Amino acid sequence: MTPTIPILRVRGHLLVSVQGELGDDVVEQFQNDVLSAIERDRGRDGGLLVDISGLEVVDTYVARVLADTAAMARLMGRHTVVCGMRPEVAATLVQMGYMLDGVETALDVDDGLDRLGLPR
Amino acid sequence: MTVLVSERLTIAVEGDVPVVRRRARELAQAAHFDAFASAAITTAASELSRNALVHGGGGYAVVEHVSDGLREGLRLVFVDEGPGILDIDRALRGGYSTGRSLGLGLSGSRRLVDEFHVETSLGKGTRVEVVKWARFRR
Amino acid sequence: MDPSLTEVLQFDEHQLRTRLAFFRIGEEELDRLAAMRPLMEEATAQIVSLFYEHLLSQPETRDFLDDPVLVDRLQAKQTAYFLQLFEGRVDLAYVENRFRVGAAHERLGVPPRWYIGAFDRYLGLVRERLIGRGVAGAELVADLAAVERIMHFDAALAIDAYVAGHLATHARNQAALRELASPVIRVHDRVLLLPLVGTIDSFRAQQVMESALLGVSEEQARVLILDIAGVAVVDTQVADHLLKTTAALRLLGAKTILTGISPQVARTIVELGVDLKTLHTRNKLSDGLELALSLVGREITDKERGS
Ligand SMILES: Nc1ncnc2c1ncn2[C@@H]1O[C@H](COP(=O)(O)OP(=O)(O)OP(=O)(O)O)[C@@H](O)[C@H]1O
Ligand SMILES: [Mg+2]
Repeated sequence: MTPTIPILRVRGHLLVSVQGELGDDVVEQFQNDVLSAIERDRGRDGGLLVDISGLEVVDTYVARVLADTAAMARLMGRHTVVCGMRPEVAATLVQMGYMLDGVETALDVDDGLDRLGLPR
Repeated sequence: MTVLVSERLTIAVEGDVPVVRRRARELAQAAHFDAFASAAITTAASELSRNALVHGGGGYAVVEHVSDGLREGLRLVFVDEGPGILDIDRALRGGYSTGRSLGLGLSGSRRLVDEFHVETSLGKGTRVEVVKWARFRR
Repeated sequence: MDPSLTEVLQFDEHQLRTRLAFFRIGEEELDRLAAMRPLMEEATAQIVSLFYEHLLSQPETRDFLDDPVLVDRLQAKQTAYFLQLFEGRVDLAYVENRFRVGAAHERLGVPPRWYIGAFDRYLGLVRERLIGRGVAGAELVADLAAVERIMHFDAALAIDAYVAGHLATHARNQAALRELASPVIRVHDRVLLLPLVGTIDSFRAQQVMESALLGVSEEQARVLILDIAGVAVVDTQVADHLLKTTAALRLLGAKTILTGISPQVARTIVELGVDLKTLHTRNKLSDGLELALSLVGREITDKERGS
């Protein structure tokens, strides 16, 4: 009974909203869900927006899955943006030395959609 | 130091890590941690309990809401009877991992808390104790 | 209303019992104190006035008591305070009262050393009364012990309140300093400015990071200008902190522009081996502002030439 993560299509892009707690069990599911949504979406070329404003805690494990998923989505040709990180989560990750270097970020969903622009 | 709440939580399976994390978060709230301090101690709880599980083969955590009469805080202890940390100096410096990880969990947790003690002995196990105090009361 | 001090200091029934046990105050002592009450009621007025005579004769305490109206009010309070010692009952309300006395002295700025000396004077005055009463031997010794214990018990509570009051003041100062030390100023829609002045240690650096992150998140800002022209010393440690703030702001989706960079700071940043591609820097604040505006799709134009 793993909760699945809702993936919506907004303005031609895939929008994944991660809610509540991305528990260790759900985190793998998240990656699979996102990758198979991209797979189903073949033929289109919108970007991928991952909204993490619902995440209160992001440890190195979750951060790694987020970064890996973003990298995989990029390899599959999707412009990928992570948006909505909370101030305390950003401070914690940086203090630990985890800068998520390769990940593109945006303030919120609006800002993220702006970044992704119109699908080509 | 007065212990206001003390709980012992088993760390044996993946699902136990979020339980420790959640309890730490609730106690941080009870101890009046602000959002930054709460995220910091909760994240440390997550890192250290996962280390006990993944590297230490499981063990237990003691999560405590403490007070020294003037400040409230959280004390977390993680204990396992695993192989111990091979190179403790490198592990504390960060960027060292025996897995395929960045190796930032242990060193990062240390930077997130006010007090940090590790005892580890090869073949016997590891005990990590951390304390974080709430800031700016009233 | 303020929370009670017993609540703030987490002084509960359990604490009360252990504290009484530690000071060896039991039923017997409380009964003895209650039995002394008639004698003390008779003597209060005189004891309190001798007590104030002592305080007014010492230069250190006299300075706190230069207002006769205040002295009158305090004397009235002292009478109630003094008689409460001989109630024969010590409960949480009693403790609260003692905490308030300690806190009031802390607010007046009376240091604990004078407070303790004053206690001793009280003790001396009570001792004289008890000796003058004509009861001697074991009875007198036991009565004296009861009085000493309750007064030391009181002094300990006053010190608790002192320390807590001091720490609360300290925390308030820290919070005020935190706002002063890292003021986030909105200079344009979605553009913030954080001018840093003075010395940056790791505590302050953490505050700067938190203020910057909260500011960006509250204002939905896209750009934050971090002006370090006023920072006294930028060594590798400070530079490292500033870059961490930049990294944290990037995680939120905001850009940081570092301005006010002197040649030495430039050298430090390069020595740290920072990836300069991700770093927006400008020498002057005005140039940083121009860059910030261009990042949010605005520009500053010359009015005469029109836009
Ligand atoms: N409880 C433990 N028992 C045995 N070894 C441990 C324990 N905790 C940490 N270690 C060792 O210390 C190394 C560093 O730990 P650290 O948590 O920093 O990194 P990690 O767990 O490998 O990766 P991550 O960054 O995902 O946490 C680990 O790779 C492991 O070898
Ligand atoms: Mg780890």
